[in-house]
Amino acid sequence: MNSVVVLIISLAVFFIGYRLYAGYIDKKIIKADPKRATPAKMYMDGVEFMPTSKNVLFGYQFKSIAGAGPIIGPIIAIQWGWLPALLWILLGTFFIGWVQDYASAMMAMRHEGASFGGLSHKLISPRARIILLSFVYFYLLLIAGAFGNVVVDTAVRLKPAPMAWLFLTIAGVIAGQMIYRWKRDIVLTTIVTVIIAMAGIWLGTVAPSNTILGDTLSNNRLLWAVAAFLFCYFAAVLPIWKFSLPVNYVAAYIVFIGLFVGLIGILIIHPNFTLPAVTSFSIPIGPVWPIMFVTIACGAISGWHSIVSSSGTARQLESELDARPVGAGVMFVEMMLAAFALIIAGTIYASPAEYGAAIKMGPGSVFALGVAKFLNAVGLPMEIGRSYGSVMMVVLAITIMQLVVRFMRVATSELLSDVHPVFRNAHVGTFIASILGIVLVLTGWWQYLWVLFGGANQLMASLALMLITAWLMSEGKSYAWAFWPMIFMFITTIAALLYTSYSLLDKVLKGAVKGQALVGNTLMGLVGIFLVIAAVILGIEGVKAFNRYKSMKAKTPEPVEAA
Amino acid sequence: MGDKDPEKEKKKGGLFGAIKEFVYGVAAHDSARFALKSRASMEHLFILITMGDMLGVPILPPYYSLRLLPYVVPQISTWKRRMLREKDLTDALA
Repeated sequence: MNSVVVLIISLAVFFIGYRLYAGYIDKKIIKADPKRATPAKMYMDGVEFMPTSKNVLFGYQFKSIAGAGPIIGPIIAIQWGWLPALLWILLGTFFIGWVQDYASAMMAMRHEGASFGGLSHKLISPRARIILLSFVYFYLLLIAGAFGNVVVDTAVRLKPAPMAWLFLTIAGVIAGQMIYRWKRDIVLTTIVTVIIAMAGIWLGTVAPSNTILGDTLSNNRLLWAVAAFLFCYFAAVLPIWKFSLPVNYVAAYIVFIGLFVGLIGILIIHPNFTLPAVTSFSIPIGPVWPIMFVTIACGAISGWHSIVSSSGTARQLESELDARPVGAGVMFVEMMLAAFALIIAGTIYASPAEYGAAIKMGPGSVFALGVAKFLNAVGLPMEIGRSYGSVMMVVLAITIMQLVVRFMRVATSELLSDVHPVFRNAHVGTFIASILGIVLVLTGWWQYLWVLFGGANQLMASLALMLITAWLMSEGKSYAWAFWPMIFMFITTIAALLYTSYSLLDKVLKGAVKGQALVGNTLMGLVGIFLVIAAVILGIEGVKAFNRYKSMKAKTPEPVEAA
Repeated sequence: MGDKDPEKEKKKGGLFGAIKEFVYGVAAHDSARFALKSRASMEHLFILITMGDMLGVPILPPYYSLRLLPYVVPQISTWKRRMLREKDLTDALA
């Protein structure tokens, strides 16, 4: 099939899903009311609660949810064939993805901008809140591990990447100084720093890491893992304006320009899919159900989005009518991004064997080659395009990683400060998070790590859908559109986590793995089991809450009509 | 003559205005929110210093507190909400 046909089908799903399905739910079931005061207006504090234009929030939501996830998932999942991956991306977004993103924002808005902890306490039970928050810590750890692996793989396999990454960091630090210390014009700052970052991309091709560090050091995974977590360490402990914010600011332009020009390249080349539509029901990572459904998380449905929608966006929406374009609209745009990644993986290799060899080197290599090919269509040399693609991959992964390490630092302080005051120290919390992340990166097989991260992410989505269902039930609204997606996600995710944990621990118990892999398999297997237990407890709490709402509805007397 | 219809103003921006806002949302809105959050936590400390006098329990020499008080009063209601609102880890995530 031609890639343009896939883009057209995706656009049709976008149109029908956004205009008709989401429009119907918004108008007829949720009954979004432009006259109802939103938390942003009611509780405006100029900080968290602030009415903001829907265009700004569209950009904010997109930037917050579209990281490396929607790109890496489809690149891995194409191993089952591009057709099941495409179907899951389109149908997953149509029936589940936007439902979660939009309804999370709506639910938080109708509860005065409450966050998930408070909502689960109110709508499910007090125990649900405790489980949810401890679950979030392991979820963050898996994100750090999975994305750290992507950064390390890309730095090892693509030699121009480290130089481009270094220059991007320098450009970011300069941007911070120019904006906040030297008070320079933002446009001038942007132009100067983006040019520095672009120069790094070119320099990466002239001076790749193996020519500077030698083959041994440039292939050392430990070196790049330490570099990645050192980067995150600075992001977590330095004032946010000095490092984290300006680096992300410059990175946003690099990613955006790459995506935009890459899309033009696809339209110019409009290649055919060269990989098979369907390969096999089961591949080395596992069977298509349930494993593919957690391998592609962002791009179809992702629990991360529900956190952004509830704790971030819901407090800034100035009208209830804006929840649909921001919550649902951005999810459909992310679906397009996932389709773009699928086209990259499915069209750039001449044969499945060639793709098979490339995917063994990690998703970063596949993505960078694809970006290079499509940027080449608009005239950029292949080598520079490859360097561009590699830094895009590093940036997409490390932006999320640094955020996660910062939050793990906060979480460590909250969970362990009562045990010993030393855990309140920012450096101690960051160090613990970094060490755990490095252990996962160096000892875990990346495809299993990705599946576990996807499992945790999808479990978060199931919990968000459970909260949404409980909210709809408590309000007496129609809830089937959230309930059935929740059931599907819950069963699929638990099955995926059990399958992966069993595969990992089985190898440990049979003595099939030794050394580093033994540590990685054991750690990942146990985290998977913990997530399943947490999910089952939450599931039981959820069923109790549903029964409570049903019995309340049964007891409520029907209004008596006047004679 | 000086009054401008906000709807018309909105339309005037049109597509270019929307793109401008979108780029701001992608690149800088997060930074602005972080800056505001940092400033707010500083202001919380400031309000705390003058809180004693509001409650009738002097902490600083009352003369200085009373001079600071007018700067604090407009923010008391939002400050109370921010301080008393239930928060959890997910608040820090977005």
